[in-house]
Amino acid sequence: MEFRQAQVVRGRLFRLLAFLLFGILMVNLVVLTVVQHDYYRGRALKNRQVQFRVPAPRGRITDRDGVPLADNTFHSDITVAASQFSGGEPDSVLAQLFAWFDLPPAETLADLQAQAAQRGGRGRAVLVRGADMGRLTTVEERRSRLPGVRVESRWRRRYLQGALLAHVIGYTGEVDNDDINEADPDLDYRSGDYIGKQGVEAAFEERLRGRTGIKLEEVNATGRIVGRESVWLRAVQPGRDVALTLALPLQVAMDSLMAGRRGCGVAIAVPSGEVLAAVSLPSFDANIMTGAISMAQWRELSEDPAKPFFNRLVQATYPPGSLYKAVTSLAGLRRGVIDTASVLEPCLGGYQFGNRWFRCWKASGHGVLDHADALAHSCDVFYYQLGLRLQLADLAETAAVFGLGQRLTGIYPGEAAGNIPTDAWYDQRMGRGGWTRGVMLNNAIGQGEILVTPLQMALLAARIAADGHVPSPTFVLGQQPALPATNLPFTPSHMAWIRRALRQVVDEGTGGAARLAGVAVAGKTGTAQNPHGEDHAWFMCYAPAAAPEVAVAVILENAGHGGAEAAPVAGAWLHEYFLWRDARRSERGGGS
Amino acid sequence: MIRLFGLLWPRGDRRVTVIYALLVVFSLALLWSVTEPLVGSYARMRVDVPKTVFWRQVIWVVLSWGTLIVVSRLPLRYLENMSWPIYLVVLVLLAMVMLIGPEVAGSRRWLAVGPMRLQPSEFGKVAMVLLLATWLGRRTEGGSRITATLGSLVLALVPAVLVLREPDLGTSLVFMAVWLGMIFWYGISTLLLLTALSASASAVIMFYSERILEQPWPWAGYLLVLMGILYLLRGSVGASGLILGANIAAGLGIPLVWARLEPYQQDRIISFFDPSRDEFGTAYQAIQSKVAIGSGGLFGTHYLQGTQKGLAFLPERHSDFVFSVAGEELGLLGAGTLLVLFLLLVLRAVDVATEVRRPFASLLAIGVASYFTFHVVVNVAITTGLLPVTGLPLPLISYGGSNLLASSLMVGLLLNLSVHRYDD
Repeated sequence: MEFRQAQVVRGRLFRLLAFLLFGILMVNLVVLTVVQHDYYRGRALKNRQVQFRVPAPRGRITDRDGVPLADNTFHSDITVAASQFSGGEPDSVLAQLFAWFDLPPAETLADLQAQAAQRGGRGRAVLVRGADMGRLTTVEERRSRLPGVRVESRWRRRYLQGALLAHVIGYTGEVDNDDINEADPDLDYRSGDYIGKQGVEAAFEERLRGRTGIKLEEVNATGRIVGRESVWLRAVQPGRDVALTLALPLQVAMDSLMAGRRGCGVAIAVPSGEVLAAVSLPSFDANIMTGAISMAQWRELSEDPAKPFFNRLVQATYPPGSLYKAVTSLAGLRRGVIDTASVLEPCLGGYQFGNRWFRCWKASGHGVLDHADALAHSCDVFYYQLGLRLQLADLAETAAVFGLGQRLTGIYPGEAAGNIPTDAWYDQRMGRGGWTRGVMLNNAIGQGEILVTPLQMALLAARIAADGHVPSPTFVLGQQPALPATNLPFTPSHMAWIRRALRQVVDEGTGGAARLAGVAVAGKTGTAQNPHGEDHAWFMCYAPAAAPEVAVAVILENAGHGGAEAAPVAGAWLHEYFLWRDARRSERGGGS
Repeated sequence: MIRLFGLLWPRGDRRVTVIYALLVVFSLALLWSVTEPLVGSYARMRVDVPKTVFWRQVIWVVLSWGTLIVVSRLPLRYLENMSWPIYLVVLVLLAMVMLIGPEVAGSRRWLAVGPMRLQPSEFGKVAMVLLLATWLGRRTEGGSRITATLGSLVLALVPAVLVLREPDLGTSLVFMAVWLGMIFWYGISTLLLLTALSASASAVIMFYSERILEQPWPWAGYLLVLMGILYLLRGSVGASGLILGANIAAGLGIPLVWARLEPYQQDRIISFFDPSRDEFGTAYQAIQSKVAIGSGGLFGTHYLQGTQKGLAFLPERHSDFVFSVAGEELGLLGAGTLLVLFLLLVLRAVDVATEVRRPFASLLAIGVASYFTFHVVVNVAITTGLLPVTGLPLPLISYGGSNLLASSLMVGLLLNLSVHRYDD
């Protein structure tokens, strides 16, 4: 009986305990489902709704006639989450992938860690770039057993002409931290995206890139997309195409004429300033820059003494040599220290200035020459004397109207301005009184401290041809030139004289190798001395001489005489140009 | 005809039978949902939990109903006499699990019987309840209660330790909890109860100080407070000494117990106390379960339309976390209904325990009540994030034949007792 009585009390206690425990559960249930409902509903939504970035296809780059030069291919990367190797060891899933794909564990892990480090140790890293069908299938079929592993598809740049246009177009590469930090946040760069790194790709990045789309997809716990419809939070906006001013056939012609040589050849249309061909050799295949370039490849290219990465069009500076005599002549005419018909002391193969003997390139001497003959035969002695009648400021003022000493493109990083020395420049460089009037002799023949880029020489020829009505060269149709067209501060008779003289250079002077049948060419040869080796061969010209439509500058490094080496290249290119032009005219013109 | 139909219905308290039937139907409805693809604007996808899970459970429900009918009609005397043989058979089965059970995910819990997998630990709970009721029921008058209590502790510890070695921490805790419930019913001194409870508190606080905060002050503070309370109570020196000694022993002993736990068990306990340490590991299950229940709200996302369930974010949704499916798809209404049904079942069991005359019957009923209370409270506390994750099914609801059969045996015993209420 004692047991039964106790049961009643204990029964109450037990019921109390049961009510208490179930009560706690019930209260907790109410907290979860009512008080915290909104929070947990948000969490559930966040679980299954994932934002996917859909990269826009990059705009194509074409030549002036729409021939594609750079387009895109679609490829799939296998990526993994940084958390899968954050412990310094691959997790079991990653280790499995190493085995399946025969990846060397230590190196692959180091590569992944390097990628993650670039992104602050978070995010995703690419395990296999541009995976083939076999590997993609391996991953797709086992998806549920490979948490964290994803197949991500991306556009990758393809350069259809390989090395032909690498210096003009530049190339794309994966964005690094600096790119992301410097870019406009609206452009929304994320690690793994591509960005223009050089050339037109970099300069026209905003136009080419387009806008990444954002798509909301429903996924299950393994990350597989299961929603039937996706919601676009932001539409993909494909990048816009960019048309270069270059014509592919003319570029090919210049490239093949210079094959195997080191230097630069550039042609610009007159008076538009549009670059028709621009070759810098040696070059490199831009395609190797878009993917994961191997360290070995990179080192080979960057340590090549011929400097294939060096964009000679705008980054290289050379003394202009005798090309500069055109500037000196115009400066002299402008200052009135010489006339178009002036005859100076005869050339005996050199000129005594102070205690130094300045030689003419022609050791036997030119004898008596008038101004035009001096230019046609590039007589140094004549220009030594002209130089002594001028001040540095006179040369600099005249050089400036041709764009010398200035950056011309506004789109190429690292573009050189060149150097047109002034009194102040020498004072600073050598100290006040540390230099003599002797520098005028060198400056007058384009030697000494004068430095120009090949593009500047093309503009020099173009502006002489069109009275200055040529803006600085442009590489992209519709591009705003960095410098506007100008009016040259020379009298019409002086301009007529210099054009006649330049034509004479080709017709009967040093530039004979550029002569064409049926088209008159005006030009100037140059042989730039260079302390490091053989002379550089220069040639600049425009044609047709009477009604100029194209200007060309060619430099071949360490090649020797401009007349013998550079002029034939320019001449042959002009030949190709006129064939091309005539073919277009008959094509377009048809009946008219 | 009516007689024949009567044979298909278990004897005993109708209310218990109805609660049982409602729970089992609820279970089948949830398992159907778990094995169905998600309804809505989703592409047809493979469901991770196959339909066979549902159909197997249907077979187990049929078998369980038969069990209920049979057990509700067995003579009580017979059950009492069979308690030792049943207990010993289950011990042998548990030993066999150790020796020949297939290892699944690092533990041995099953015996393969033809196409079925039996989990002897589930039947061990029934066998222990039967034997403890017999053992303690025969020792209500005369004799040493302390001896009887210690003897019953040994009877509970043997299967509990065997199960712990599988290892299956959750189930072995069930043995101890049910033993505690029955000992409480048998009559344990307030001193012992206070000692046990305060020692448990001491163990938990010591653990928290040592592992999570990594400094000893909270436990030291607790001991000071305890000593103050003992001084104010002015109890006997012996009683105060026992309580204080047990508290110190429990506090100092916990690191030893900790060292013996499996690493995955340690992880789960640590991640429970400090979820931020392991967002994607063992805490993941608990978080996803809370998200499922919380997102269900008052009325749920709708039957078959829970995304936590349907998109597989919710782990073990057919077994240990089936309660969360109820919460997600049927909301507070559905989950609350489940809780109320279980509470009613427990209260009926306590009613029976207080009404029957024979100590054996009374203890048996309270064993059933303890079993359901512990199982349900711990499972729901886990799914709602109140306790660390340890594998423990929700009886009668979770998928699994052994647990359903064992729980049905418990309910069958209860039905049986409700008939023999006034037997001597």
